[in-house]
Amino acid sequence: MASRAPVLVATSISKSFGPVPIVSDFSLSVRPGEAVALTGRNGAGKSTILRMLIGAVRPDEGRVEFDGQRLTETSAEVRRGMASVIDDLDFFPDLSVVEHLDLLARAHGVADPEPLVDAVLAEVELVAQSGQLPGTLSSGQRRRLALATAFVRPRRLLVLDEPEQRLDVEGVAWLAARLQAERKEGLAVVFASHDPYLVREVATREVHLGGGTGGPSAETEETIA
Amino acid sequence: MAKSSRRRARRIDQAPEVAPEPGRPPEPVTDPYEPYVGREWTFAPEPVEGGRASEAALQGLVRQWRRGRATRTLWQVLSDAYIAVLSVVMIGAMATNVVIGSQAKAAACDTAACLNGRMLVPWGMYFALAALAVSLARLVGPVLASSAEGFWLLMAPIGRSPFLATRLWSVIAIAFGASAITMAAIVGVAGEPPAVVAAWTVAAAFSVAGLVAWAAVEQSFERVTALRVVQGVLATCATAVFLLMVAVAGGWISLSPPAALSLVPYGFAVLGLVLLVASSVMARRRLEEFRSARLTSGGSLVAGLQGSMFGLDFGLMRDIVVDRRAIARGHVRPARGRWSGVWALVWRDAQRLARFPQPLLGVAAAALTPYACEAVGLGMLTPWLAAVALMLALVPTLGALRVLSRTKGLARTLPFTTGTIRTALFVIPGVLAFLWALIVAPAFAGVVGGVGRDVAQASMAAVACGAAGLLGAVRWQTAKPVDFGVPMMATAAGALPPTLVLNLVRGFDVATLIVAPVLLNVDPIWSLALAVVVALFLRSGLNTDELTEQAKEQREQLDAERAKRGN
Repeated sequence: MASRAPVLVATSISKSFGPVPIVSDFSLSVRPGEAVALTGRNGAGKSTILRMLIGAVRPDEGRVEFDGQRLTETSAEVRRGMASVIDDLDFFPDLSVVEHLDLLARAHGVADPEPLVDAVLAEVELVAQSGQLPGTLSSGQRRRLALATAFVRPRRLLVLDEPEQRLDVEGVAWLAARLQAERKEGLAVVFASHDPYLVREVATREVHLGGGTGGPSAETEETIA
Repeated sequence: MAKSSRRRARRIDQAPEVAPEPGRPPEPVTDPYEPYVGREWTFAPEPVEGGRASEAALQGLVRQWRRGRATRTLWQVLSDAYIAVLSVVMIGAMATNVVIGSQAKAAACDTAACLNGRMLVPWGMYFALAALAVSLARLVGPVLASSAEGFWLLMAPIGRSPFLATRLWSVIAIAFGASAITMAAIVGVAGEPPAVVAAWTVAAAFSVAGLVAWAAVEQSFERVTALRVVQGVLATCATAVFLLMVAVAGGWISLSPPAALSLVPYGFAVLGLVLLVASSVMARRRLEEFRSARLTSGGSLVAGLQGSMFGLDFGLMRDIVVDRRAIARGHVRPARGRWSGVWALVWRDAQRLARFPQPLLGVAAAALTPYACEAVGLGMLTPWLAAVALMLALVPTLGALRVLSRTKGLARTLPFTTGTIRTALFVIPGVLAFLWALIVAPAFAGVVGGVGRDVAQASMAAVACGAAGLLGAVRWQTAKPVDFGVPMMATAAGALPPTLVLNLVRGFDVATLIVAPVLLNVDPIWSLALAVVVALFLRSGLNTDELTEQAKEQREQLDAERAKRGN
């Protein structure tokens, strides 16, 4: 597994907001079958790193590569291979829950999306809400729908920002099992989390940010599995 | 200063001095509130009746707090905003000038067809204003309260009537004033004599205010069905009148209205007055019955709209209204998707239009615009007015483009470039714009009078206007909101972000640019060429970050090459 080429490589990326450095000289390489958990206190830079990894934020310094190519957020190849769920996911106000998932699956060329969409809907426990418009969903249900968008489409890398947010205990347990299964099937996963259970169950490597004295995003890395 | 404020100020003044004696180190203060222990703090409003505050006292307290926090007087605000005041005066003067000019032009409208067509303008406006008023009243309440008022005042053990009565009278007064001004301006521009303008103005003011008061009654019962029906009937009447106006002005139908018809506005005024009085009395009596949730939902909607209005973010205003409508609907019967790849997006766009077909009415109404403009003799302005009408009608059909443009999250889940996504989302509105162009081409050929063009020129002018409307709507939906993080521009009205003013004209800028050759009587082919350039520009999305990234990468490659050669 270790011999496989990395899916995602970040080399010495840095980001400051005004005079405040948020991330300094951060590097990361993720191979298929690996799950990297970014942990650390609020403000340690986890979300900023994830945003740079998916191209939503441009690093001030350094480089991010997806499949050996410099990452551009608007590239169709990147969008095809990378599924991300961060806090900027929006929904069409006039399409129902199931229609969102159906649209995504079809857009990604899934030939017969109905069984897949039904299965994912059942997994995220949104079957009863399948006809609801997103504006009427609770925050937890919206979170489940956001996660479902990542599972109805082909993907090689999954990037999640605190996916356990607003999920109940059973929801976190389901998510941990699902991400574990994804990893075992060869998917690369990068996620930020505050939930030790999720990190323990899913991650093969934990990068703890802000743990050292080296300033913002000084990280300590621990291989879990 | 109010009596209670003076009393509080005195109490604070009486606080013991804690300054250390010279030469002695200050003692550490363990509890900053210690000097005030045992002191009486009275914030209760006056008068308090039997331990229960009255509504007037609470409102007085809120008013006092607000005044106490004001940093400038109204006069100071007006002095600082003198440019805005001057602008309003200037715009008022220009509007008056336009009315006078239009009346002079309208005097040339002396054929029976033209005069009869023009006579129908106030009728159409009357029904349109009434329909709009019912629609807005239904959307916001019409009686509303802010979330803070809902939590702090409406939940308090006080009577709601006195508090809500001000709101009720305010909203009725606004409806009265706004409808009167709009009606007077439109009928004035149409060139009607002052007596007719006055009659229709009074009719519109009383009728619209009456409908809003009636909407308040319905709000107290939490009923919407009757409002919906009335809104539909009024909108249908407005459309029918405008169609009739075009047909009459175009000479397809001859109309010989009886003299008694001129008395109808007075009848409308009387009916409106009766409705206004009866509904106002009933609404005032039922103010205690309003549920706070029903009041605050309208309040939060208006607060959201106000917030976006301050940033001149009309896209956000529309988003708020669209989200609210979707939430009100709540549930839909899921429809099966079709096709795959980018066509799945096109199919869903078509399905969305079938599910919410109201925008089609707007497009149909926009198709009447060039006919109506040509019929009433606004020939030169017709292309621009037609393009703007289509632009406004197409904005709701580009909802998916708006969602995919306002945040990148959803676009990131789709395996296409920004250009591909935008192209797919142009398809359905583009088809509508093309159909619109086919329908309006005869108007540009002069079938209802006005500027006559040959078939080829008229067709091209229609297509150019259709493209202008479509691309104006795309620009309107995809424009970025005002960035308050950029360096501000110093103006007499204070610091303003440079894009704030541009936001006012977004969409209109593109539409005007494209139809400019048609307006200037230049060959419409130039409009089409401009449309192609603008379409390419809008399709790309012009991602500055991406361009910077590409430039940076090229620079790095160049540096690497140089380093290789150096070695």
